Parts: sequence; structure tokens; C-alpha cells
Amino acid sequence: MGVIEVDNVSTRFGEQRVHAGVSFSISAGTLVALIGGSGSGKSVLLREMIGLRRPDQGTVRVLGTDMWADAEDEVDAVRRRIGVLFQDGALWSSLTVAQNVAAPMREHEQLPPRLVRAQVRLRLAQAGLPLSAANKLPSELSGGMRKRAALARALALEPQVLFLDEPTSGLDPITARAFDSMVRGLVDDLGITVFVVTHDLDTLLGAVDRVIVLAQGRVRADGPVREVMHVDDPWVRAYFAVRTMLEGGDDGG
Amino acid sequence: MPANPQPAHARWCALETDPSGRARLTLRGAWHLPDLAAIERALRAQAIPPRVILAGADLESIDTSAAWALAEALRAAGLTPAKVELHDFEPVTQRVVERVFRLGDAGEALPRRKRLGGLGQFGLSAVEIGRMCAGHVTFLGETTQALAQLVRNPMRLRLKELTVQFEQCGLNAIPVVALVTFLIGIVIAYLLGLQAEKYGANLFVVDGVGIGTTREFAPIIVAVIVAGRSGAAFTAQLGAMRLGEEIDAISTLGLSPQHVLVVPRVLALMVALPLLVFIGDAMSILGALWIAEPMLDITPATFLSRLREALAVKHVVVGLAKAPVFAFFIALIGARMGMTVGRDTRAVGLATTSTVVQSIVAVILLDAAFAVIFQRLGI
Repeated sequence: MGVIEVDNVSTRFGEQRVHAGVSFSISAGTLVALIGGSGSGKSVLLREMIGLRRPDQGTVRVLGTDMWADAEDEVDAVRRRIGVLFQDGALWSSLTVAQNVAAPMREHEQLPPRLVRAQVRLRLAQAGLPLSAANKLPSELSGGMRKRAALARALALEPQVLFLDEPTSGLDPITARAFDSMVRGLVDDLGITVFVVTHDLDTLLGAVDRVIVLAQGRVRADGPVREVMHVDDPWVRAYFAVRTMLEGGDDGG
Repeated sequence: MPANPQPAHARWCALETDPSGRARLTLRGAWHLPDLAAIERALRAQAIPPRVILAGADLESIDTSAAWALAEALRAAGLTPAKVELHDFEPVTQRVVERVFRLGDAGEALPRRKRLGGLGQFGLSAVEIGRMCAGHVTFLGETTQALAQLVRNPMRLRLKELTVQFEQCGLNAIPVVALVTFLIGIVIAYLLGLQAEKYGANLFVVDGVGIGTTREFAPIIVAVIVAGRSGAAFTAQLGAMRLGEEIDAISTLGLSPQHVLVVPRVLALMVALPLLVFIGDAMSILGALWIAEPMLDITPATFLSRLREALAVKHVVVGLAKAPVFAFFIALIGARMGMTVGRDTRAVGLATTSTVVQSIVAVILLDAAFAVIFQRLGI
């Protein structure tokens, strides 16, 4: 059974149907990307997976727990085992970076302050942040640093599953690739399962094990990037056309 | 006596000497975040010698937090974690440990956040308030300039924005202003009545209520309500616009944010506040009139005829004349705090709070200044 199981999820906003039976399963230790056009309901699906929005139909299971049917304390226990990186970081603006990273540990673990401070250093190092950033407020950081700080916070409780919402948007290509390889390292070395919503073609081609394409409310394609690139779907073709063009007409046939 | 004096620690790790005479730290069990405090205590209980090797055959699993605690213990013993030999680890645990051991530099402590002492905090606040006041004066100049340009070129007035603002800070404020001033009228009549009754001077309650409310209470109370309502709203609206770079977008269109955003708000409030004060005057007198009969045996007809004798028009005019000045400063503070808010969400909240406090202080200060001026002028 997969770490994440999305089964026949449907969502509607009034008359508008966003998801019409979305299903997929993600196995442990993989880095899976969800792509789709603007308004295809990627972020909504992510919110349903992490238990922030109830799907109108279907079930979402994370680490074996149904996020919308099982007991509240079970769901809370799962929430402690997942990490979420929101699109703009969602760092608490009144706390410093170090306090942001320490907050989950203070809430959920009984650790002496000395140990919490040591753990904060670990998370900052894992996210590639210099120690000098620790005492800054989120408003004093650049966009890339904010994303790293948010990742450090997402890693604080040693998550088994990491959800990333457009982690490389707004980053320069060099920072974005460094972010990709950092996430890849988490998957390869620590066996974390990562689910990433992205628009970034380079992330897909460089770091991802598997791509799920969401369009018109359904999963249009699902598989390794090189296979999905050649799926016969107008949106998928248009999406990858830019890349095949740049690569000099290597369209596989 | 047990053979092992510290069985609790032995559950996690033990220091041994291997056949070749080297010290080895044997790790045991599943090292995970929930047990981190115990693991760390066990590690600190060991006197780790230099040139130690780590034996991981009995280590079932380890996460990054525990591996980091191990790295910290090695650093505390003067070792470089990345150079310590790992023996007999499972591939998975070895990967985690190796990865964490490569992170971070030796012995680098998390810098502590600097805290100012009492005197430092006092000085910092003083400097900040000074800077803020200087900024307010600059903003006052800019707004006056924009208003002067408007006089020369009235076509620049944004009528639509002006009416929208007038509706929000004027019309929509009528119910709360009416209710509060009505109750204030009752309270003042009641308190004055208690005293006046002792001397049989019931009728003079009308004098007190009439002059007191129109000249002082209604303007002050209405201005405080408006500071809390509209001043805060100006800061929140403009602050949110600044966060969304909407104010920058106005500037890049070649428009002046002063003209588009500030002037309509200032003018709307300057028109609205005197009208609200007038409603406040009427409502507080009505409140007094309502309680006068049951409490002081003053019939409405007596009340009104006494009011006509006692309340000179100048008191009402003085009260109304103060209102546009209060309004100007409330709008100015509200707009300026919004336009200069810091670029994060928390700053909007802080600025809004600050606006309300500043506006109320400004209103009271202005009122005190008016009291002195009018007294000197003999009005």
C-alpha cells in the first residue's frame, strides 16, 4: 500500500467541477510531482491531501490514515509525521527563523531548550541556511531564504512525507536547482516521500521520479517524466513543447 | 549492587574496548526524535575518547535528529564527526549518519538574539517616536501640497473615491455614533442631576448638558469613535494595498498616490466628522431630555425652553469647528501609517493599533489646545 492514496476524489466549487474522480497512489521513498495548468485544481488537491479542505467525494489516505474519516487524534498524529511547505513559506511573521523552526518541536516534543537549539541548527543546515539567518525575522529574508527557512520548519519533526507547494517558484534558476538537489537528497538519503506541486520543467526533468498530470479534473498522465512527455494529450504536448523545442527537436520520433 | 551502574544509558549506547585495544561506542536500539532527550543524556554520560569508532550493528534505525545529537556529542569530545569511522552499520542507518555528519561546522553555536536593556529600549523607542513624528510632518506637508494643487486644479478631485469614502466613514458611522452619544447624554444628565437635586437646582442640568455635550463631549467622543473606526480602516486598507504593491502600481501609472488615495480620505473625513458631531449633539441632548422627566421632573417642553435660553449658538459652533481639525489629523495619521507600513502582514496589524492610539492622543491634545485658545480669545 502506498504512503499516499488518493482515491476517486471529486471537488466542486458551486457549479464548477474541479476534480472529477482523481486517483493515484504514491509509494514510500519517491519524489512525485503534480503538474497541471492554472486553475486545474492542483493546490486544492494538495489542501485536500493535507487535511485542510474536505473533498466532496472520494478518500485521501496519508500513511494509512483517512484524512477525512478517521478519528481526529489519529489525523493529528499523521499531521505530526508530515511536513508542509506552503507556497510563500507561511513563516510566522512575529517569530524569528530560529523560533519558527523550533515551534513544532516546542509544541510536540518535550526537549530541553539546549537540545531544541541544537536541533534548530541541524534543520537550518539541512535546508542550507547560514546560521546568521537564525535571528532574522521572515520579513528580513529574501524569497529564496524564506523558502529554505520554511523547509527547515517543515523538517523539524522528522517527517516521513513532505508536501511542497511550488517550492521553486520565484527563485532564480541556480537557487531553484540547489533546492531540487536538496530535496532529492532528502529522498535518497533519508527515504522521505516527497509530493511536490510545481510548474518548473527543470525540476521535473532533473529531480523527479514520477509525474502526475492533472487536467480537466482528471489524471491525464502518470509515470516517469520521459514517458509522460510523449503522452498523446494536447495539454501535455503543449506543456513539454517548449522543452522539446529547446532540446533541438528531440521529440522521440 | 548491579554490575552496570547506569542501565538506562546502556539501553542506547555503551563505550567498550575492542580486541585491538581501540575504544568503540556501540549504538543500540531505535534512535528517534521522541526519545531524543534520553539519547542525548546517555551520550553525555559517556566520556568519549579521541580516536573512537562507532559500532552500529545493533542500531535498528536512526533519524536525522538523533544522528545530529550523536554528531554534537562527538564535537563536544573534540572530534570531527565526518572523520569518525563507522563500523558494521546497516546501509540505511549508515547513509543517514553519514549525511548528517557532513552537515554544519564544528562547534558553531546558534547565535543568541540580542536583547536591549531597559535604558536601551527607552532610547530606541524615543528615537523611533521622533522619527515617526518627523515623518508625520513630512506627510502633512505632502498632503497640504496635494490639497493646494487641488485648489488650483479642482478637476483632479476624485469624486467617486470621495463619495465612497464619505459613505464608509460618514453614513455608515451614524448608528454607532447616535447610540453612543444618546447614552452619554443620559449618563451626563443623570450624574449632574444627582448633584443638582441636592440644591434644588434641577433645571440647571439642562445648562450643563447643553453646553457640556455640544462644546466638549460630543466632539471628543465622536472623534474617538471615528479614530477607532475610520482611522484604523485607512491604515488597514492602505497597508494591505502597500503589501500587494498596489500603491506602487498607482505610482508607475504616473498618478500620485496622494491624490488618488490620501486626499479623498482626508476630505471625506473632514466633511463627515462635523456632520457626525452634529448628530452626536442632537442625540446626547435627546438622551438627556428622555431621562429628565422621570428623574428630575423636567418636562420636555420645560427642557427645550430652558435649552433655548441656556445654550448659546457659539458653544455648538465651537464644538462643530473643532471637528474638521480632528478629522484632518485622524485621516492624516491613518493614511500615513498605512502608506508606510512594513512589508509583512504583522506590520499592518501593528500599524493599525498604532494609528488608533496616535489618533486618540492627537484628538485629546488638539482639544486641550483648543480649550486654551478659546479661553484666551474669550469665546
